[in-house]
Amino acid sequence: MLENFSFRTIVEYLPLFGQGFAATLWLSIVSFAGALAVGIILCAMNLQRSRLLQLPAKIYIDAIRATPLLAQLYFLYFGLPRLGLVLPELVVGILALALNSGAYIAEIIRAGILSISRGQVEAGIASGMTYAQRMRLVILPQAIRVTIPPLLGQAIVLVKDSALLSLISVAELTRAGQLLASDRFMPAEGFITTAACYLVLYYGLKSLAAFSARWLGVRPIGSRT
Amino acid sequence: MIEFRGVNKWFGALHVLKDITLSVEPREVVVVCGPSGSGKSTLIRCINGLETIKDGDLVVDGQRLGDRATNMTELRTEIGFVFQAFNLYPHKTALENVTLAPIHVRKIPRGEAEASGREMLAKVGLGDKFNAYPSELSGGQQQRVAIARCLCMRPKIMLFDEPTSALDPEMISEVLDVMVGVAEEGMTMMVVTHEMGFARKVAQRVVFMDAGAVVETGTPDEFFSDPKTDRSRAFLSKILRH
Amino acid sequence: MIWFQLQSLMGSYPLALRGLGMTIALSGISLVLGTILGFALGVLRTSGSRLLDSAIGLWVDLIRGTPFLVQIFLIFFILPELGVELDAFTAGIIALTNLAACFICEIVAAGIRSVPTGQVEAALASGLSQWQRMRQVVLPQAMRVSLPPLVGQYVLLIKDSSVVSAIGLTDLTRVGWLVVQRVPNGLLVFAIVGIGYFVVCYPLILLARRLERRMSAAHGEVQL
Repeated sequence: MLENFSFRTIVEYLPLFGQGFAATLWLSIVSFAGALAVGIILCAMNLQRSRLLQLPAKIYIDAIRATPLLAQLYFLYFGLPRLGLVLPELVVGILALALNSGAYIAEIIRAGILSISRGQVEAGIASGMTYAQRMRLVILPQAIRVTIPPLLGQAIVLVKDSALLSLISVAELTRAGQLLASDRFMPAEGFITTAACYLVLYYGLKSLAAFSARWLGVRPIGSRT
Repeated sequence: MIEFRGVNKWFGALHVLKDITLSVEPREVVVVCGPSGSGKSTLIRCINGLETIKDGDLVVDGQRLGDRATNMTELRTEIGFVFQAFNLYPHKTALENVTLAPIHVRKIPRGEAEASGREMLAKVGLGDKFNAYPSELSGGQQQRVAIARCLCMRPKIMLFDEPTSALDPEMISEVLDVMVGVAEEGMTMMVVTHEMGFARKVAQRVVFMDAGAVVETGTPDEFFSDPKTDRSRAFLSKILRH
Repeated sequence: MIWFQLQSLMGSYPLALRGLGMTIALSGISLVLGTILGFALGVLRTSGSRLLDSAIGLWVDLIRGTPFLVQIFLIFFILPELGVELDAFTAGIIALTNLAACFICEIVAAGIRSVPTGQVEAALASGLSQWQRMRQVVLPQAMRVSLPPLVGQYVLLIKDSSVVSAIGLTDLTRVGWLVVQRVPNGLLVFAIVGIGYFVVCYPLILLARRLERRMSAAHGEVQL
């Protein structure tokens, strides 16, 4: 049946895929910005001496890491209305992605900060810097360098994860494929086109990650790609 | 300037400083030596509070460490500390390394800090390396930047924690020469090192430590030609043979 | 109200157990198959053949570059068009095994590359055959590096198995979806689903952390 592969149908549906591509792109960017904020807050809490701040962050990170994103997405999608919060699917989806990726980003930033050697901290202490000055002038500038490549890795994961939003009928790239597949009974055309679009995003981000690693002169450290 | 009175310190069950009593006068240069694990690094790390002491008194520049009234951050600006592993900031150039603390801690205007930074770098023989990053410098050059970094804070005391032991042999003398220069300008210095040539040249006193205690003190001449204890004799025979 | 919901949830108990069983079966089977396939691919990838290396590399990129959901749809809807009849369970196993194999291949290949060439040269010098070098010298050392990320990968695999609910397999997530249609309390239902996954995944996360700590201790962190 694949010999009937219809490029003409794909062309016909291209505007839909274009919209889906744009939707996936911008909802990923918004979610990633949210995830960065969540991650920075979690990481800051996790690095405090106070148990009262540390413990909630640790529990949150572990809970997110030990459960699937799809279950988290359904938790919000079916659960938020229960709390009287009836939000559009798109907002629920972005929220789920940001809350999920935030936990991973918190760990990436923490690894970056902890990778700075004890000697750097001591040099800062010895020259009379306060904790805030050491963080701002010595540790963070170095940590951000080693953090950028794995953060881009996390961005790749987030873009792929965003496909799950199609299951709560957010109009994005995978949803476009599903529509073509069900309207015309052409799953091959639908999903191969979808996959190709994701590959464009993947290779784009991947070369950006490789470029940034070379530019920053750091070896990429472990990420969840 | 620096005074230890009955100082003790433990790492868990390990008694690393045993009842240390020792004082260093202004403008005095004291060399601390001893076998590895004898507590000599811990001793000087206590002086600027990189390690905390368990009991006894440690008075630095008239301020008792551990007192509520003592502001450690402020005190540290008066004490330069040179690390064995240099610990230069890898994301900063040589000039940025030496001006970072003056600008942000001492609040010296940038232009002024940079002028004195250039002067200090030139003084340690690195007048042509202002814009080099630490990774572009040899070990000896990095350690000289580290010394300049301390001098830019105009400290009253300089502490050196085995400043030449991470260096290739051919680079040791360039660092020692800079240290001799600093000593000759009248800096109060405490230096953990096994470089006996340096000790003979500028030190007023040698302190020999073993197993966490000060075993012997004396002038370099007394110590090297006529060590008083078996332990110092054994130590000297080992380091002099190499 | 909440009492009624709890009662209704209790009634779903057998269904939940079946869902958990399905999740464990799916991830267990593909974990074993994926590990075997992944190791084979990883060894092939580092065997020195440029062609094999780039062919495997391309496949890995295609799989890593697309969402797992899309991969499942492709397998489930397109293989039948090519004349391969398969049910949702088989499709799920194929998709998960393929995904696991690709990630494990990269982990194993990275582990093998981390073994210093001096080790291979020493083995060569003492006359070991290629298979012996791999089996006796390279793989045992590569395993030490690969084990923590491998366990971490298993956690991801178990979580990714939730996505097969999209083609109608009644796994833990699907059970939650079914139950929430009858008991409209998404917070409660999916919290319980989450606990189900947590019970399976968390021990593995702890294991991965322990292995990682042990490895960095064995390598001796540099004291500065």
